[in-house]
Amino acid sequence: MASELTHADIQELLGAYALDAVDADEVAVIDAHLVDCPRCRNEVAEHREAATLLSFSGAAAPEALWSRIAADIGEADPAPFELARVVPHRARRVQLRLTAAAAAAAVVIIGLLGFQVVRQNDRIDQLAAITDQRGLDQAAAAAAVQPDARRVRLQSDDGAQVVDAVVLPDGQGYLVQTRLPTLGSDQTYQLWGVIGAQTISLGVLGGDQATTAFKAAGPLTSLAITAERVGGAVAPTSDPIVKGRIEST
Amino acid sequence: MKTDWSQASDAALVVAIGRWREDALAEAYRRHGGAVYGLARRVVRETGVAEEVVQEVFVRLWSTPDRFDPDRGSLRSWLLAQAHGRAIDRVRADSSRRLREEQDARRTATSGYDVELEAWDLAVADRVNEVMADLPAPEREAIELAYLDGYTYREVATLLDTPEGTIKSRIRAGLRRMRSDLIDAKTGRPWHQS
Repeated sequence: MASELTHADIQELLGAYALDAVDADEVAVIDAHLVDCPRCRNEVAEHREAATLLSFSGAAAPEALWSRIAADIGEADPAPFELARVVPHRARRVQLRLTAAAAAAAVVIIGLLGFQVVRQNDRIDQLAAITDQRGLDQAAAAAAVQPDARRVRLQSDDGAQVVDAVVLPDGQGYLVQTRLPTLGSDQTYQLWGVIGAQTISLGVLGGDQATTAFKAAGPLTSLAITAERVGGAVAPTSDPIVKGRIEST
Repeated sequence: MKTDWSQASDAALVVAIGRWREDALAEAYRRHGGAVYGLARRVVRETGVAEEVVQEVFVRLWSTPDRFDPDRGSLRSWLLAQAHGRAIDRVRADSSRRLREEQDARRTATSGYDVELEAWDLAVADRVNEVMADLPAPEREAIELAYLDGYTYREVATLLDTPEGTIKSRIRAGLRRMRSDLIDAKTGRPWHQS
């Protein structure tokens, strides 16, 4: 019966499937369908992310269990596991959850390159060195939904140019939704952050930029983007094209 | 070489796990092991079995980190899905007995979602509370019976004496609502008003 499922039938089952709540014969049919149907794959992924809400647990990971895992993976001397470092500190939690999304980004790279599991250090080095726009977009989207994320709109004085940014409490930030005009080949956009009384370069963005990650070393009060000569400048040489204040939370 | 992984991204951890860095796996366990264990224990309701499930999931991450599919969400979501599948396999074996017990139990009590006890911290609890509160009770009930109690949608239909098609729809609609509520709760305000 399950083999006769139509696309609509399968779609109706995707929620239950994501919760492991369909029968085995239906699992087989849906698994086969997902191979060829990105839209349904995406829906299952979204359902699973939603379901993680139901999994939040106040319990710490059991320390004794780590010892068993460490023994199982063949290490005689397990790495010290310090439960004391699990501090229920809000800023830290935010950072940890952000990085979960960043992990997805890393594996996007692995998937794109289609690697088999061959455990070679040089393979991994290659992976680590490559940046990937899809991964950045995912990381930026994840940052935007953090509870402590501050959203900043950078605008030109006339309001015609707009760039949106997200800044997390630890200084990690992303420029998203950039709609700046493409610059000439001898120019580049450069991002600046105001920290205290200082204006610090947060990165040279290129002439036609997409989502970009940046990291500020201290509490940012403003962001601004200028056009500079290719290679960037140590200090802004012109008025900002767009700028925005970061409201404290 | 001693590395402090506590500030590393999950991305960096996965790369390091690919290089056989056990301390990176330890950090991944420290971050996500509690949630994975909590879910496994909730589903199988036995500490020893839950521990087996968690052990399998992290050993699998160690041996085949590339099985973590980038297009299917975060590392945490992947670990939880792995654990959930394994936990379900263990409880399904005696599901007909559980079904009868549950039917008996439901005549006297209804289960609630006690987020205060389960949430990571207050910030998360607030968000989960908001999302779950917006969920119509029939959708929430169907999702909890399927995901946390491990019943198939057909079994849920039997339990609730409701058509199977209705249960399928409730689960799917409820998950969609949770996701969109979650996004709204966090990014609902337009940028220029924040």
